[in-house]
Amino acid sequence: MSRILVIIPAYNEEATIVPVVKSIRTAVPECDIVVVDDGSRDNTAALVRKQGIAELLALPFNLGIGGGMQTGYKYAARNNYDIAIQCDADGQHPAEEIMALVARIEDGTADVVIGSRYVAHSDYRPSFIRRIGKSLLSRWINLFIGGGITDTTSGFRAMNRAAIDVVSRNYPEDYPEPEVLVILHKHGLKVVEIPVQMRPRQGGVTSIRPQGAAYYMVKVGLAILIDIFRRYAPASAKNEGS
Amino acid sequence: MEDSTGEMVGFYLSHRIGLLVVSVAFMATVLELVRRAHLKERYALLWLAAACGGLFLGLFPQSVVWFSRSFGFQYLTVFYVASFLFLLLVVLVFTVIISKLSERNRDLAQEVALLAHRIARLEGDSDHES
Repeated sequence: MSRILVIIPAYNEEATIVPVVKSIRTAVPECDIVVVDDGSRDNTAALVRKQGIAELLALPFNLGIGGGMQTGYKYAARNNYDIAIQCDADGQHPAEEIMALVARIEDGTADVVIGSRYVAHSDYRPSFIRRIGKSLLSRWINLFIGGGITDTTSGFRAMNRAAIDVVSRNYPEDYPEPEVLVILHKHGLKVVEIPVQMRPRQGGVTSIRPQGAAYYMVKVGLAILIDIFRRYAPASAKNEGS
Repeated sequence: MEDSTGEMVGFYLSHRIGLLVVSVAFMATVLELVRRAHLKERYALLWLAAACGGLFLGLFPQSVVWFSRSFGFQYLTVFYVASFLFLLLVVLVFTVIISKLSERNRDLAQEVALLAHRIARLEGDSDHES
């Protein structure tokens, strides 16, 4: 049986972190859960510690979502988990769907599985502008990864051991989700997506504000071009052991 | 500066003296910063090279005339362009250094989080389950 870790990056999520962790604990009691507190200024870390409902990795200061996620993947790599799932702390990602992601990894048909908000059976409806932006970005990214991924910004993902090793060594810093796809593709890993029913966020705010959307597009668009030519840290003993 | 035949002969004397004084003062400042350990030797080298450049120009003003002629500029223009390119190089070097530092900073922060978790676990803290 696979050892499975659910990674929940959290930054100022005191309103939702406890119910989110509990819903995951209930839905998939066989999985371990780690919350990465990214230097929150509220009680996120204290709540997790007090409730004892998940392992806690508390970063000493805010690194941003990329640095936080990478911490979780490093933890997964060092503790030899077979599968790691990343899941938002705001309650958008339904805990009941976690095993659907895991199933595709366990049957060996994918290295990475993305829970997509767009494919059939999902009724996620973002705003018009956001839809256009995401669609342009999606097309751009799909040019480089051989196509087939509609929801390139989804943060609901499962990875096998090979993919965990890659992302624990290379993780983009801000707005990392689309770039990670390019990095995984460059390492020859197979990424698939399956439909999931997302819920509205239960609290907190999106990290991408409307005025930041244009910057987001340009930054990610360029970063992906650079990713194509980048040299990646080779697999080494650096992240092993412990 | 041109003489009666229209030949460029180099700096005004006041320019030369100013350049020499500034270069020497700059070099002294850099060396003092290194001595007090406010500045690392490897980064000081760039600034010392700049100060040496200033000294060289002050001592051998004909060199600037030679440069001006080769590029077809006024010597002051050559001077500005060279200074600008040098500062551009310095800023580039600094951003490379900052990038490397911020990467190490991130790795260290992650390491702190992972080790703190491990310590809590080894101490059998009630902070975690299992």
